[in-house]
Amino acid sequence: MRFSSLLHKEFRECLPWMLLAAILFVAVTSVLFQTETYSENNSYRFSRLSPGTVISSYKITFYPAMSETGPWLFFLSIGLGLALGVRQFWIPNFTGTWPFLLHRSVSRNTILAAKLTAASIAFACSIVPIWVGIYWYATRPEVFAVPPTFRFFIEGWIFITLGLVTYLGAGLSGLSTAKWYTTKIFGLAFASLIIITTFSQRSLVWVLTLIAVSAAILLSRIFDTFLRREF
Amino acid sequence: MKLKIKLQYIATPAKIFMAVLVILCLLSILQGICIEIERTYARAKRLTAKEKPEAELSQEERRQDRIRSSSKEFLADGTIHLISRLERTSGQRNQSEKVQIYDVNDKLLWEGPRDKKPYEYLFWDRQFQVSRDAFTQQDLKRTQMITPGFSRYIEIPVSSDSKIEQIWRYHPAAQYFKGYDMRGETIGYVGSNGFTESKSEVKPLGEFRQFTAWCPVDSYNPILLLQTQKSIYQINFEKQEVELIFESTDSDIRRVNLFAWIDAKSDDKEYADPNKYRPLLHCETRDGKHHLILREPKQQLSLNLRRPSVSVVATKQDIFVRNIGSDMPPLPDINSSQQLVDKWVQEVQKKSWNMWTELYKVKNNGELELVNSYKYVRPPLSEPVAKARDPRPVVQRYVCQFSPPLYDLIIRYFGERFWSGSYLYQNRGDFFYDLLKVILEIRPYDGIINRILSVIMMGFVFWHGWSRRTSWARFIFWLIFTGLFNIAGLLTYLALNHTAVIKCPVCGKLRGLTQVDCVRCQGQLPAPERGKLDLIFSA
Repeated sequence: MRFSSLLHKEFRECLPWMLLAAILFVAVTSVLFQTETYSENNSYRFSRLSPGTVISSYKITFYPAMSETGPWLFFLSIGLGLALGVRQFWIPNFTGTWPFLLHRSVSRNTILAAKLTAASIAFACSIVPIWVGIYWYATRPEVFAVPPTFRFFIEGWIFITLGLVTYLGAGLSGLSTAKWYTTKIFGLAFASLIIITTFSQRSLVWVLTLIAVSAAILLSRIFDTFLRREF
Repeated sequence: MKLKIKLQYIATPAKIFMAVLVILCLLSILQGICIEIERTYARAKRLTAKEKPEAELSQEERRQDRIRSSSKEFLADGTIHLISRLERTSGQRNQSEKVQIYDVNDKLLWEGPRDKKPYEYLFWDRQFQVSRDAFTQQDLKRTQMITPGFSRYIEIPVSSDSKIEQIWRYHPAAQYFKGYDMRGETIGYVGSNGFTESKSEVKPLGEFRQFTAWCPVDSYNPILLLQTQKSIYQINFEKQEVELIFESTDSDIRRVNLFAWIDAKSDDKEYADPNKYRPLLHCETRDGKHHLILREPKQQLSLNLRRPSVSVVATKQDIFVRNIGSDMPPLPDINSSQQLVDKWVQEVQKKSWNMWTELYKVKNNGELELVNSYKYVRPPLSEPVAKARDPRPVVQRYVCQFSPPLYDLIIRYFGERFWSGSYLYQNRGDFFYDLLKVILEIRPYDGIINRILSVIMMGFVFWHGWSRRTSWARFIFWLIFTGLFNIAGLLTYLALNHTAVIKCPVCGKLRGLTQVDCVRCQGQLPAPERGKLDLIFSA
């Protein structure tokens, strides 16, 4: 009961951000679908080959169909993670609502679990269904000449999990009592390092392992800081 | 409460790991900025510095130098000419460079622009990998990198009447091509067993190494020459043909050279006169064998020679092999000890060596017949370069003294063979090896300044931590940690352990506030003085 009430409250606070992310993503994706299908049907990509010449390898290596959704998915995930992290863990410092929340008859574990669950649901209900929908539609027959591969789908999931890592990093920075010029910003810095490291990898297994380990590190730090901190 | 205690065992190491990782990254960035500023300044200084006048050379020394730097070219009858470049004239950008052509007796035969020379020399096969149009393993790795725009794919179109009808995409993990029609339906697969309709029938092509692609003169549809670990295929997607050009049963393919293989237009750089030359594919395997695959007519030969740098060409009449050699000792394996390599460099630089260029004709049974050869002497370097313990520029050497001594310990533990892999061509673009290269660039190289700095920092941590210590294990851990990580360790320690201290009311010495009892006298923390608010409790 207490957990569900808290969850309801946290989800209400996340709702504007997740709606914003979802609406933006849907709007952009719709436009991209129209332009990509037009381009594919007219085969513009292959119009540079000519007889009797050696082909430069750059003329036959291509990004998959709907690749332009990638930057949008990545930055929307990061933005949503930052917004949720700040809303849940930074804003209460300024509004002074931590003591009010912590003096309820509910354990700190429950409060933290409600926040984390609300953020996960926000991601799951905003960006994830749209991404799954994009992949499903793009792989249907007669949409694209060369449908995207399953790897494309997994890479999108990696961008979404990087958004979650950013959320955890922002949360840890928000909970830290250190000064901003010392270690307060380390949570976000660590999340940034993970994002940069991800973009120099080729192996999906290694990237997912890296993200899982970094999320575990950030989660353990968030729990430890929240349980020990004096508000 | 139990969760709090259990979490401590994970959260505390995680906190230290996060802090030291972030600080190490910041430190590396600062070091990189200093090193690059110095390099940019040094490069600018080199460009603007006036060239020192070269020492006067004697006539014999000038002659030897000219011979050494000339290219040795062969005519079809085996005659050798030496082509020496003259200086380009500045301000005349379109002028073809001027050359001088000498015979083996040092007689000047001709002088003028290179493109007007009156002799027609033999052209030689070019390495597949060197061609800027080859798609190599490193290029494939780069396309697979995860980016915000997703990873890329190789896609080959097949068109008919200027309309694309099929697209064939390469799947690196599965090592085959998968074909689609323009409606997105799968039409088949291309593997080592040719074109198949179902996924269960296709066999993988093999571990990818490189490919080159071209459009024949009469078609817009590409043909691929694809090399894997042990095989070379030619794939024509339009005709749905896969031709196995070469397969090595024993050892991997090391190098592939091509000449006149690609059907190119006359103005293309890959063009070779089909009336004079036969298409040739020259394949060298790792066991040192050379295999020649020729066309017009089809022929396959294996050469009986174990030399690394030979070039081959096939005219309509003969097959020629050019060998460039010397009596220098062979270069040690790059994966072996750096000391061996340094010793080899020193030895090679201080002596003169005999060099030669040989032309052989290949008989039908693969035996070689020497046609002609030219020998000359390569003089020693006037000043052999001495190898310093730390050969890096001055600024880099000093900036790297703030790096963790742990880098040197790790390098020593894993050995040079492990680290030399970071400079191998096939490991370019690999995150792990790139990280190794960064560590090799900023390692302190066992510098005495680095060790002194570590000791000073350990001393500071000792002084700072003595009054704040809560347990001996922690205290010693942080001392060792600071010693191993140098300034990054010190900053991590301060970030995580700088707490307030007060004077103990019992023993009068400084003590931290994170422990209830004083570590020296076990005295309790002072109790707060009673004030006006205590009226409630005093009643």
